[in-house]
Amino acid sequence: MFQKTIIESTGKSPWLFHINAGSCNGCDIEIVSVLTPRYDAERVGFKLVGSPRHADIAVVSGPVTKQSLPRVLRTLEQIPEPRCIVTCGSCPQSGNVFRDSYSVAGPLSKYVHVDVDIAGCSPKPEAIMDGLLLAAKILEEKRKTGNMEATLPNPYVPVKAEEAKPAEAAAEKAEEKAETKGEEK
Amino acid sequence: MNVVVTALLDLGYILIFPGFLFCFLCGMLLCGIERKIVAKMQKRVGPPILQPVFDFFKLCGKETIIPAGTSRTVFLAAPVVGLAALVVIQLFIPIFNFTAFSGNADIIVILYLLLIPALAEIYGASSTGSPFAGVGLSREMVTIISCELPLVLVLLAVGKAVGNATGSGVVFSLQTIAAYQAENGCLLFKLSMIPAAIAFLLIIPGETGTHPFDAAEAETEICEGMLAEYSGKPLAVFKLSHAIKMLTMTTLFVALFLGGLGTGILLADGLIDFFFCVVITVCVVALIDASTARLRIEQIFKYYWTVVSGLAAISLVLAWFGL
Repeated sequence: MFQKTIIESTGKSPWLFHINAGSCNGCDIEIVSVLTPRYDAERVGFKLVGSPRHADIAVVSGPVTKQSLPRVLRTLEQIPEPRCIVTCGSCPQSGNVFRDSYSVAGPLSKYVHVDVDIAGCSPKPEAIMDGLLLAAKILEEKRKTGNMEATLPNPYVPVKAEEAKPAEAAAEKAEEKAETKGEEK
Repeated sequence: MNVVVTALLDLGYILIFPGFLFCFLCGMLLCGIERKIVAKMQKRVGPPILQPVFDFFKLCGKETIIPAGTSRTVFLAAPVVGLAALVVIQLFIPIFNFTAFSGNADIIVILYLLLIPALAEIYGASSTGSPFAGVGLSREMVTIISCELPLVLVLLAVGKAVGNATGSGVVFSLQTIAAYQAENGCLLFKLSMIPAAIAFLLIIPGETGTHPFDAAEAETEICEGMLAEYSGKPLAVFKLSHAIKMLTMTTLFVALFLGGLGTGILLADGLIDFFFCVVITVCVVALIDASTARLRIEQIFKYYWTVVSGLAAISLVLAWFGL
């Protein structure tokens, strides 16, 4: 009866839980700036919660050090399904400058299924906001399909050359038209 | 036949009008308006007013995790008991002239019922054995004790003021208080009752657990305290209870101090009542919420037992001398 409402609500109220896995605090500050008045993530329903059991989206920052790895995995397991795991910054995604360090166990995707990667060192608040909104959409998709591994196509994968040609041709035509119109005037 | 009609009417009271559905809608709206106003005061756009409804339905669709070593029955029953108690309170609080159930001593019943949601939360939290919940519930207990003394003093003051006028000692019936105000004007405009009204307004943030009296649910230090282990549907019910508690406290204020402004038409009365609830929520809960930081638990205790209780006691003494 309420199934449709539940599916719609899932994307509208994603609650965040932030895990610091050995981050330098740069990304953490940018995450805070997403939630504060300038970018105000609460206007689309984001809310920072204190317990992983309340969360929908886990935001992991930092290169996942060996010390933090078991704790990060345990915290991620505590988040009820459907959940999204978002890495914030280049560190949890690739290791960044800490790659191959003796104390770093990352990247995070070696251990859990990561839904969204937000690259950057540190990413801009706009980029974080964009990534979180994508995560919210994935969350809704997971709720809708019941498949907890569901993903959405990446909107930022570069368009292949063959596929791009018709669009470019159309753009060129449009430009030509605009030029001809200009001449007429 | 008559019995069936009465039973159906009672069921309607419990499920629809002053009961569950009314509580759900108005509580969620109040909560949404509160969040919006707080956001506006912090120069933010803020969530949509229906955000608490989205939160509620989203939580309904989440997985419910029951931690290992938890008493399953207590863990799952606690939120339902708390919600039921709040809905029952709403049946006793008159909306101007209309009351679903009334009695000679409904104020005392309400006093006890107001404790049940907090106690249910404490039971549920203690069943998990989580250390965060342990800290949270000890703080919640202190908050209850802090709020209880001034609340009783306010109710006694109001009861005595009405009792003086009707010549029957202390009145413990909200129906009588409503009837008195309908004849003689609101108690809020009586000079001796103003300190009590202010004290009651200061109790509302404490009872609903908003800033600065939210030491029990401090999400940044103790992971939301008692709710730390809850997820999914039980958490949704607890969030709903918090929203309804705001409605309960504000309608109780309207019944105690602003009765007698009713029109006699039930629908209009309901709307006026809700309008006052919104005004009180905006002026008291949201304003204090946005402009203060969290107090430590012993500061909360001290504040309620000195300042707020003092205000209520002034009213009580004035009422006792028949002013």
